[in-house]
Amino acid sequence: MSDRGLRIAALLVTLAGIGIAGYLTWAHFADQSVVCVQGGGCEKVQESSYAEIAGVPVATLGLASYLTILALLLWDAPVARLSAATLALVGVFFSAYLVVVQLFVIDAVCIWCMANDLVVAPALAVLTVRRLRS
Amino acid sequence: MATRPSSRQGTSRRSIVIVIAAAAVVALALVAGALLLRDDGGSSGSATPDVDFTGIPQEGAVLGDLGATVRLIEYADLQCPACREYTKEVEPTLVADYVRPGRVVAEFRGMTFIGSDSVTALRFVHAAGLQNRLWQLQEALYRNQGAENSGWVTDDLVRDLAADIPGLDVDKLFADKNSAEVTELLAEDARNAQADQVSETPTLLLQIGDAEPYQIHIGFDPGALSDALDDALQG
Repeated sequence: MSDRGLRIAALLVTLAGIGIAGYLTWAHFADQSVVCVQGGGCEKVQESSYAEIAGVPVATLGLASYLTILALLLWDAPVARLSAATLALVGVFFSAYLVVVQLFVIDAVCIWCMANDLVVAPALAVLTVRRLRS
Repeated sequence: MATRPSSRQGTSRRSIVIVIAAAAVVALALVAGALLLRDDGGSSGSATPDVDFTGIPQEGAVLGDLGATVRLIEYADLQCPACREYTKEVEPTLVADYVRPGRVVAEFRGMTFIGSDSVTALRFVHAAGLQNRLWQLQEALYRNQGAENSGWVTDDLVRDLAADIPGLDVDKLFADKNSAEVTELLAEDARNAQADQVSETPTLLLQIGDAEPYQIHIGFDPGALSDALDDALQG
């Protein structure tokens, strides 16, 4: 894939992440329940004590991360590519923790949170390839 | 000449390892922070009730004057932090301004979707309802809410809380907790939740007379609750 193609792919995945994390953040602050495939799971995850860190919703942290990656993608300097790939890698590690928490601690799955956690993996893949090519 | 690419490769590999290690360290710090700063509801255990139920009539899960035309139905899970927040922030206004003057009657319906402690807590709360003290015990449990399914609803905790509720026979409370009557009350709550299509907590429904109940969304804003109740009272 050309560098332009990779950049577009990275932008699309990042925008998807912004969309999902933005929706979850909006739902949190507007006190709205998210549209859930199956009743219960989303509320259980979102209402759990793992949904916030020091009062900050995890979704908001995700949104901030995706926005930072977007800014780095637009900047597109070598250091920006390295920073974006590193940030995505942090995201993958942290998302792994969140997936484990959902599956084995809270014992419920919020499909939006899961999507938010998983979309960072393709973002990492694309950003890493771009970084290695630069 | 052959040493330059290999040296570059070595440097590149080192850089990758450094980046991965740095990312892992940052992620680990985030996870540690998440676990350490997690608000697990804590057993802050304030001894002072957030809501004053003194002198208000109760009948099972219903609080207030049964003749009131407007009924506020609250679906809640006793382990749900949002329900605790609702009880702390909104319930004082509901009780003082609407239930105590006899304008609105409130009904508690329990849900247990968070887990085993929800079931234990709801059993105790309905057992208290058999002595018309359900509302005091649910408020006390929220005030002492612990981390989900951590086993926080212990006999010792409930015994301590129940002992502070005037008129509640603690031995009877424990005897009733696993009774068939309480089991049926839990089942009735579940049937009602299904019929009302409730999938999250807290969920509030308003019923005017015999009309079909409708859902209201007020967050944790007592003013929004007042607006909804005033509308309902005006018919």
